Amino acid sequence: MAVAAASAPRIENRSGGFSLRWLGNALAHGYVWAWLAIFALPFMATLAYSLRTPDGIWTLSAYQYVFGSFKENLLLSVQTTVITIVINLLISVPAAYAIVRYPLPGKSFILSALNLSLYTPAAVMGVSLVIAYAFLFRIPQTMTGLIAAYVVGTFPLMLVPVIVALRDLPMVFEEAARTLGATRMQTFWRVELPLLGPGISAGILLTFVIIFNEFLVTLFIAGPSTTTAALRVYNLTRTAGFQPSTAALATTMQLVSFVVVLLFFRFFGSRYLKGTYLI
Amino acid sequence: MTRVQLVEISKQYGSTLAVDGVNADIAEGEFVTLLGPSGCGKTTTLRMVAGLVEPTAGQIRFDGQVVNNVPPHKRNIGLAFQSHALFPHLSVYRNIAFGLEVKGSPKADIQNRVREMLEMIELTHHADRMPSQLSGGQQQRVALARMLATDPRVLLFDEPLSALDRNLRDTLKYSILDLQRRTKKTAIYVTHDQSEAFAISDRIFVMNEGRIEQAGTQLDIYLRPHTEFVAGFVGDNNAIPAEVEGVVPSLPGEPRLLDVRAAGMRLRGSDPGNIRVGDRVLVFVRPENIDVLDAASAVDEPNVVHGRIEQIVFEGPTVRVLVDASGVLIKVTSSGLGRLTLLDKERRDVMLRLQDVTVVRDDAAVAA
Ligand SMILES: Nc1ncnc2c1ncn2[C@@H]1O[C@H](COP(=O)(O)OP(=O)(O)O)[C@@H](O)[C@H]1O
Ligand SMILES: [Mg+2]
Repeated sequence: MAVAAASAPRIENRSGGFSLRWLGNALAHGYVWAWLAIFALPFMATLAYSLRTPDGIWTLSAYQYVFGSFKENLLLSVQTTVITIVINLLISVPAAYAIVRYPLPGKSFILSALNLSLYTPAAVMGVSLVIAYAFLFRIPQTMTGLIAAYVVGTFPLMLVPVIVALRDLPMVFEEAARTLGATRMQTFWRVELPLLGPGISAGILLTFVIIFNEFLVTLFIAGPSTTTAALRVYNLTRTAGFQPSTAALATTMQLVSFVVVLLFFRFFGSRYLKGTYLI
Repeated sequence: MTRVQLVEISKQYGSTLAVDGVNADIAEGEFVTLLGPSGCGKTTTLRMVAGLVEPTAGQIRFDGQVVNNVPPHKRNIGLAFQSHALFPHLSVYRNIAFGLEVKGSPKADIQNRVREMLEMIELTHHADRMPSQLSGGQQQRVALARMLATDPRVLLFDEPLSALDRNLRDTLKYSILDLQRRTKKTAIYVTHDQSEAFAISDRIFVMNEGRIEQAGTQLDIYLRPHTEFVAGFVGDNNAIPAEVEGVVPSLPGEPRLLDVRAAGMRLRGSDPGNIRVGDRVLVFVRPENIDVLDAASAVDEPNVVHGRIEQIVFEGPTVRVLVDASGVLIKVTSSGLGRLTLLDKERRDVMLRLQDVTVVRDDAAVAA
């Protein structure tokens, strides 16, 4: 009671500046929302386009192609993405472990070198891969070729968050586990891996967003039987003109990415994505 | 119930000699404290016993068997960390069960043992909480339960209470002692806090710069320091430079006494065993082991010296007095009713009776 009585006059005091404060708030919010709208505009336009026939009738009929002839493209995208993520994990977790936990001469140089593919222009990467696949190794235009290319291009996206998470993880948990009788393997599976979870998920998310939407490198190396969803969108606009069905495929891709990112933030927060291009 | 022996163990980090030839023989069920200032090598020593750090030289033996090559998970020790180090992703129950789970104990056994541990630390109702939902004291208790659950041979503690507030420290240190006494396990406890060390140890090993300066009971360490470092590090002390004049004949079994002369004072103190006539020494006497007597009560015996009170500070339960004795300033702490009679004696002549005097070789003077 005493608290309420004491604080009541203060609220009244504040009400003098109320309108000014309200105006400031409104302006700040308006500013943020305006930019959001501008950023979302292209997506909204695509969404609207996918929902209308050329005669101006609102319909979901364009989406039948998403589950029809585009299904295999979407499936291929999902497949390549998932397999690449798994391979990235198998490479990055042991690599991060070695880099962080063991003395390694020239550590920072190795790290920079490993990150090189992130700074390689996609077109350069594409050309290099074509040369490598066609002339050096004679790798046919299969899903394996796509996945190999994706792994080379994106494993640092997995490696870096795992390194950050492992560096943040105090040694004391490993040591506690060891003195309690856990082998190195048990320590890894029962203590370190769960505690690295957020870092690993960040790597998964980054890899997912990049690969699921990858287009330019794919353009260089994909064959007729390996057309990903992103490449299909591009091909369609070139061959069939701009159809509502193309927009429907694009919209679906956007929604999948968006939902995955939202789910990630919901479960893991944004801590391990700081400093990456997503935040 | 394991005897732990450290034989000449050393650890070198680059150019730093973190631990320099430490020897220790710790009996079954003994509670030993490594006491020393920060950076003196306590943690490194303890981690070598745990198997987390490999000694550069020397041997570690459990019950006579060399364990240098036994990895930490096979040493069957329990280690309590400065931070509680509870696994943040596991509940209190799973934390305590961890050691048993990785050993593959049957589920029913694990359940019984964890129950037992939870009862012991009086946290039965918190089994399903996550560590972050506990208070600091509760976390450290769970850490103790986790470490005891596997019934380790040796208990190791690395300043487990230093992150807690004072009251909690005081109660928990007796809980630790109580647990050790009940389980009769050999324990090595690391701390830089002397009151902690004095409260709970059977023996204290005072460490300095990677070496054990002195090992002994609380009384040994407090009253009969062997080195200047020990005398200065543990408690408050007067250090009076002096020269050895003679050895007092003593009965067998009694500590040898030395007669020394310090700036006109005749003092007599116990000999750590390595001092000869003519050596330069430091005479140590604790402020609380000095009685202030009337100037008139002049007696001609060693350790009763003449002086003049320079300063008196009344601190309530004690009175601190600074006495100039033949040019040497001596700190005196007086408690009890007698302290009140001192208050009006500023600038007066008095006699001091020094008790429990120890003589230590003056390494600085030897080197010079
Ligand atoms: N992993 C390490 N690498 C290099 N130097 C270390 C390492 N651990 C400890 N030291 C050094 O060894 C000395 C003793 O350290 P430590 O055993 O932690 O002391 P304490 O526990 O008594 O404070 C210190 O000088 C410290 O800097
Ligand atoms: Mg330490």
